Amino acid sequence: MEKNEILTRVKDVVSNVLKVDSSEITDASNFIFDLGADSMQSIELVAGFEEEFDIEMDQDKALEVQTIDDAVNFIGEYL
Amino acid sequence: MDDLKKLRQENLETIFHPKSVAIVGTNNVKGTVPHDILDNILKADFNGIVYPVSPREKSIKGIKAYKYVVDVPDDVDLAILVFPSSVCHMALEQCGQKGIKSVIIISAGYKEVGEAGLKREQQLIEIARKYDISFIGPNCLGVINTAPDTNLNASFAREMPEQGNIGFLSQSGALCTAVLDYASAKHIGFSKFISFGNKADISEIDLLYYLMNDEETRVILMYLEEVSDGTALMKAAREVIAQSGKPILIIKSGRTDEGASAAASHTGSLTGKDEICDAAFEQAGIIRCDNIEEMFNKAIAFAYQPPPVSEKVAIITNAGGPGVLTTDAAISAGLKLAKFSEETTAILKKALPATANINNPVDVIGDARSDRYLAAINAAFDDPDVAGVFVILTPQSMTDIDAIAADVARIAEGKSKPIYTSFMGEKDVASGIDLLQQAKIPHYILPESMCNSYQAVYHFNKEIKPRVHQLSVPDNIQRELARQVLDKVHANGRSYIPEVETIEVLETYGLPVPRGKLASTAEEAVKIAEEIGYPVVLKVVSDDIIHKSEVKGVELNLGNAKEVREGWDRIHKHVKHAMPEASISGLYVIRMIHDSEEIILGIKRDPSFGPVLMFGLGGIFVEVFKDVSFGVAPLSREEALYMIEQTRAYQILKGLRGRSARDIESIVDALQRLGQLALDFPEIEELDINPLFVLDEGKGSVIGDARMILTKL
Repeated sequence: MEKNEILTRVKDVVSNVLKVDSSEITDASNFIFDLGADSMQSIELVAGFEEEFDIEMDQDKALEVQTIDDAVNFIGEYL
Repeated sequence: MDDLKKLRQENLETIFHPKSVAIVGTNNVKGTVPHDILDNILKADFNGIVYPVSPREKSIKGIKAYKYVVDVPDDVDLAILVFPSSVCHMALEQCGQKGIKSVIIISAGYKEVGEAGLKREQQLIEIARKYDISFIGPNCLGVINTAPDTNLNASFAREMPEQGNIGFLSQSGALCTAVLDYASAKHIGFSKFISFGNKADISEIDLLYYLMNDEETRVILMYLEEVSDGTALMKAAREVIAQSGKPILIIKSGRTDEGASAAASHTGSLTGKDEICDAAFEQAGIIRCDNIEEMFNKAIAFAYQPPPVSEKVAIITNAGGPGVLTTDAAISAGLKLAKFSEETTAILKKALPATANINNPVDVIGDARSDRYLAAINAAFDDPDVAGVFVILTPQSMTDIDAIAADVARIAEGKSKPIYTSFMGEKDVASGIDLLQQAKIPHYILPESMCNSYQAVYHFNKEIKPRVHQLSVPDNIQRELARQVLDKVHANGRSYIPEVETIEVLETYGLPVPRGKLASTAEEAVKIAEEIGYPVVLKVVSDDIIHKSEVKGVELNLGNAKEVREGWDRIHKHVKHAMPEASISGLYVIRMIHDSEEIILGIKRDPSFGPVLMFGLGGIFVEVFKDVSFGVAPLSREEALYMIEQTRAYQILKGLRGRSARDIESIVDALQRLGQLALDFPEIEELDINPLFVLDEGKGSVIGDARMILTKL
């Protein structure tokens, strides 16, 4: 899958889970510091990505991912 | 004070008195730390401007929220970071960019969780240094300042405490909430309440200095789990007490003795970890408490009432038994019962029924109401021999408990003598106790706690305050010469240093070394003996032998050349038999000392407090009797003397049953010099002087034997 496509779909998941307008999400956005994710939402994000891309991620490592960019790269490893 | 410490003091002033506060990482979710801190600040009626900073919320509790702290349009004095630890550094970086110098980091997930957390903590420190930021925390409950001109509750405690004059510092955040709850029930107020958590930047030392100058604080309490810099803590405590006269009460947890580490010296085997902490606190004037109850029992005595001028108390009771109990407790605590004047006795006789006891303890009898208590308390206050009054009450059917409590509170107001109370019981006396506590009259469930608290205040003012002061360096110290001897030892790669070289080092610091020399032949030994005068002692000198007497390596009281030659042969024979592999450098010939007391002095290193000195009764039985005391270098003259006074050996040295008084001043001098040596040469891991022969008063003392262990450089 192309990186751009992953990026678009990651941003969509983040926008839906965190209820943030997609215009506020940049490639460098930090889930917690910039987008205000709390610990429960971080788990929901991981679940959202797994569903969106039909993959099963390492939960501990996935929860360490902090930014949109990092998420794109991390998910890319499973595709 | 170095620049960083100075910066912290300036920034602490802003932490406690901010004009504006940003809560960075807050949210709208009740019951979470980020939300409750903001809520507490608002509920406490903070006298300043509050800026919620939240990545997602547009407003919180009707106040406009900002996405980033750099978005706040005005200056911000204090930032409270409540983000998770994974991003807290980003918030701190923005604080730096915004010019905020004072920060509290509440978030956990740092040093306390292991290596990854430690790295995050280090990152915070680096950012703080870059922007001249000072911060409290991380991993803490927060900070409270009850001063009405500030009203800052920057914590997630359940409630704001009452205003008071007690400053409380704690390494444990959870303990803080327990303390607040305990104090709230007893109407104990605080000036400042600080949870300092991992103390990554601002430490308890900085906070002690801050509270030293804080006008709202009269008593300083602290809960500590680890003493990371004992020397700095002691220095700060001395300065606080000497300059402000404020008492410092500390609970230091971890009392369990892990056992003295295996060591070759006596000093090593006689020192326990916690004993050193006890000794260090005592020396620095810190009052060590075992639990929260003891700490607050003493704290309210310091905080609420004037200090007593003597140990003489009057006890006023409405029951004989409790009067006797209190008397026992008072005497056990080192207090005395005041002796009433004839005038006082006459007043009491007139005011009380014939069956009352008008001597101290005064028994106003079980059916006493407030009028009898009042008369007795007034008479006691007016008696010149009474320095403090204890009021004991047991609830009888006719006892007007609340009225008595109210009268005690009224009568105590403005008095220059302290009044303490013990309303014994629980349910019936509860409202009376509450009245006393509201009026800031110290109340104790047990007479023992009351007496011990009185004694603590009296002891602090009479003994500790005058003793704790700045230290001076002993004169006639030749640091360079000592350095040369130690350098030679290091060059040889040795760590155990036997008598001759140890004595060389001790001589450079003005310690009383014996007249003597090292002999490599029997004839040389005779020549030395004739130079220094008979009788003499011969001692084996070997890097391989630590305890000379165990290998019969010592010959005493040799009165002529023949005896010296025979002694020489015996030592060589015995040592060869006991330790055939030992390499003998020669025999040390010194003048035999008669008519003296043998004591031991030593140095050992403590990981928290640094160089520790030991004093005790000496000789070969030192480890059996364990009559020893400890002090942390450097020592003042008074502290060195106090170390000696704490032991049973002191009675012997003073002169017991016709024995001569010995030269205690020479021991004091030796302890101070030894302390300086330990401070100047951190490589001295352990040192024993055993024995030090203490001669008659005015005649000094002489080292009998000494050895040391160095850390290899």
